[in-house]
Amino acid sequence: MDNLDAARLQMAFTLIFHIVFACVGMVMPFFMITSHYKWIKTRKKVYLTLTKSWQKGVAIFFVTGAVSGTALSFELGLLWPEFMKHAGPIIGMPFSLEGAAFFVEAIALGFYLYGWNKIPEKFHWITGVIVGVSGVASGILVVAANGWMNAPSGFDYVDGVFSNIDPVKAMLNKAWFTQALHMTLAAFASTGFAVAGIHAYQILKGRQMDVHQAAFKIAITFGAIAALLQPLSGDLSAKDIAKRQPAKLAAMEAHYETEKGAPLYIGGIVDNETQEVKYKIAIPKALSFLAFGNFDAEVKGLNDFPKDERPNVAIVHYAFQIMVSLGGAMATAALIFFFTYFKKQSWWQKNWFWWLFVLIAPAGFMALEAGWIVTEVGRQPWIIHGIMRTKDAVTPVPGIVVSFYMYVVLYLTLTIAVAWLMNRQIKALNQSQLIA
Amino acid sequence: MIYIVLFFLVFSVLLYVLLAGADFGAGVLELFSSKENQAVTKKTLYRVMGPVWEANHIWIIISIVILWVAFPLFYNVLVVSLHIPITLMLLGITLRGVAFVFRHYDAFIDRSQIVYDWMFRISSLVTPIFIGMIFGALLSGKIIIGNNQNTFFELYISGWFNLFSILIGIFFTSLCTFLAAILLIGESDATTRKVYVKKARIATVSVVLLGFISLSYGYFTNNTFIGIFVESKWALAIVILSGILLFPLWWSIKNQRRIYSRFFAGVQVICILAAAFIPIFPELIFTKTSSINLLENIAPNSTIRVLGITLIIGGTIILPGLFHLLKSFKMIKILER
Repeated sequence: MDNLDAARLQMAFTLIFHIVFACVGMVMPFFMITSHYKWIKTRKKVYLTLTKSWQKGVAIFFVTGAVSGTALSFELGLLWPEFMKHAGPIIGMPFSLEGAAFFVEAIALGFYLYGWNKIPEKFHWITGVIVGVSGVASGILVVAANGWMNAPSGFDYVDGVFSNIDPVKAMLNKAWFTQALHMTLAAFASTGFAVAGIHAYQILKGRQMDVHQAAFKIAITFGAIAALLQPLSGDLSAKDIAKRQPAKLAAMEAHYETEKGAPLYIGGIVDNETQEVKYKIAIPKALSFLAFGNFDAEVKGLNDFPKDERPNVAIVHYAFQIMVSLGGAMATAALIFFFTYFKKQSWWQKNWFWWLFVLIAPAGFMALEAGWIVTEVGRQPWIIHGIMRTKDAVTPVPGIVVSFYMYVVLYLTLTIAVAWLMNRQIKALNQSQLIA
Repeated sequence: MIYIVLFFLVFSVLLYVLLAGADFGAGVLELFSSKENQAVTKKTLYRVMGPVWEANHIWIIISIVILWVAFPLFYNVLVVSLHIPITLMLLGITLRGVAFVFRHYDAFIDRSQIVYDWMFRISSLVTPIFIGMIFGALLSGKIIIGNNQNTFFELYISGWFNLFSILIGIFFTSLCTFLAAILLIGESDATTRKVYVKKARIATVSVVLLGFISLSYGYFTNNTFIGIFVESKWALAIVILSGILLFPLWWSIKNQRRIYSRFFAGVQVICILAAAFIPIFPELIFTKTSSINLLENIAPNSTIRVLGITLIIGGTIILPGLFHLLKSFKMIKILER
């Protein structure tokens, strides 16, 4: 494995790991404060038990997200020193704001976790709200930096020199809004479905029904609303990419030849040699419509781009298909949930209902990872779109493959450990005594 | 504006060294304790550090963000030449952080605690050694910023894996332990107090001894940094000052003045850092052939301006909150007694 591949794999692997913890740490506080609010309003013991159980989850996920985030803040420079040398001063603003937001989150979390019966109840609850809001704010700010890599702005680039740097303009880059919206909804949808699925499984097993049903309802409500909004946000993103990063769009759709009224391919196996997509379902003119809102619009194909400016088509296409189909499945499940909630609560007695939410639990995070693969692999070979190539940014330090394997071992161990700890939390919750 | 940015950089590095340092040191203390004392230390640590330790460790992120935004070339030397110790430090930070949460938030208390405890203690020892070695490497005069002509060992190992850096690494760790011991004295009861006082004494002696050894080693091996340090009036004045300030420190420990003892312990650490860095500022990295000036090659003015404003706004939100956090949990402890 050469150094560039090792560095890319390490970056991908650490981000794939970090993002799950970051999302849970960002979204779960909202579940926690919802349950906490219900406890304050109703004084039903289930909500207190649930809040305290969820807060332990938040603490574990927050710390794992925080330490892997610390590692990432160094890794950017450790793996891509050339990138950071130039990009640091340009996109530093969202990063420093993110640092501030993250700090606020840590302070508020300190108050929240240790504040039970020590600080006034309302203030205590508000510190929980601050945890959630500042968590989402840091997520949105970090995405600004990624948006800048896709839509670089706020500088002039002449003969390899960056000048006239405007950090504010760089932060307010064109990709930020659509990406941040898509990511925030994705975080809520995936965490909502994952948490709901865990509790659905406990309901299936008939354990502590009160708590798990309350938990399921809170988590799935957040998840289902986000899952229903997500296709709209996805449409905004697609139209944005069609304009700004046509090569990425072409790779997502495995679209080789430029044409008017381009068809949309669903599924299929990509053969990059013959430039063919086998076994696909083609919907005539749909791609032109989805990308430009016009059935006859021209969609640029990959062959219009120089060979060394094309991303890996197969990976991007497959990842995109996975993201869309899982997203679709989640939106359907969300509809089923609302239907049962308002019309057919009797279905909640049926096993298949709970099995549905158990089976779909990992879909959100799988879709989220697939989506990031689309945006990151789809941007290649660029690290800063159209400005700097990834291979020119990589560290001169050889043997990155060693640190890649170290991170694989470390993060796999941590994943197993955290899953095991969560399982123990649920066991403890099931053993706790409840007075409804 | 650059001085505001610089102020925040110094401020966050200082706070990281003081707060996270005490945190690492507490783990080291736990490692070098008898079995019963380990259990007591673990409990005390959770009570004292629990609400604040996450915030303590964010200072390193703030420092690193300021470095890469405002001083990109300086940061570049760090991440390229010191890639290996930084990666190992991160490994330590990660393991230590998760071990702390695992051992306090695991739903059941059983034999898995043994694993968390040892993971916590060992990474508490290893991490500050690497942080110290990174500081040491900057000052060692062994870093080589070269090209393809140089070997892997010369470019990426010799800079930090040398006796001087290792000495500084151990020195830094003993400094952390010193801070933690003083912190824990204030939290202990009559029986455990003696133990921590004894440990504080050992830590103080080792700080002084290791400082002296590193200094003489640097002096006899013609280390550029030590050469400047020895001749600097600033360094001499600060060292004398810190020597004098040891007396009020011991007075406040003896008289159980919790706040004063912590204050004077913090001042000791600030003195050591000041004595080391004021004489050489702004040249903060000594390579084999030259030195690297922090204030040369800074980011463009527009970046510095925006960063400065961001830091001021962030600071006005964060600092009162942090102060309130530290204060309220301290106050609660007093009320509980």
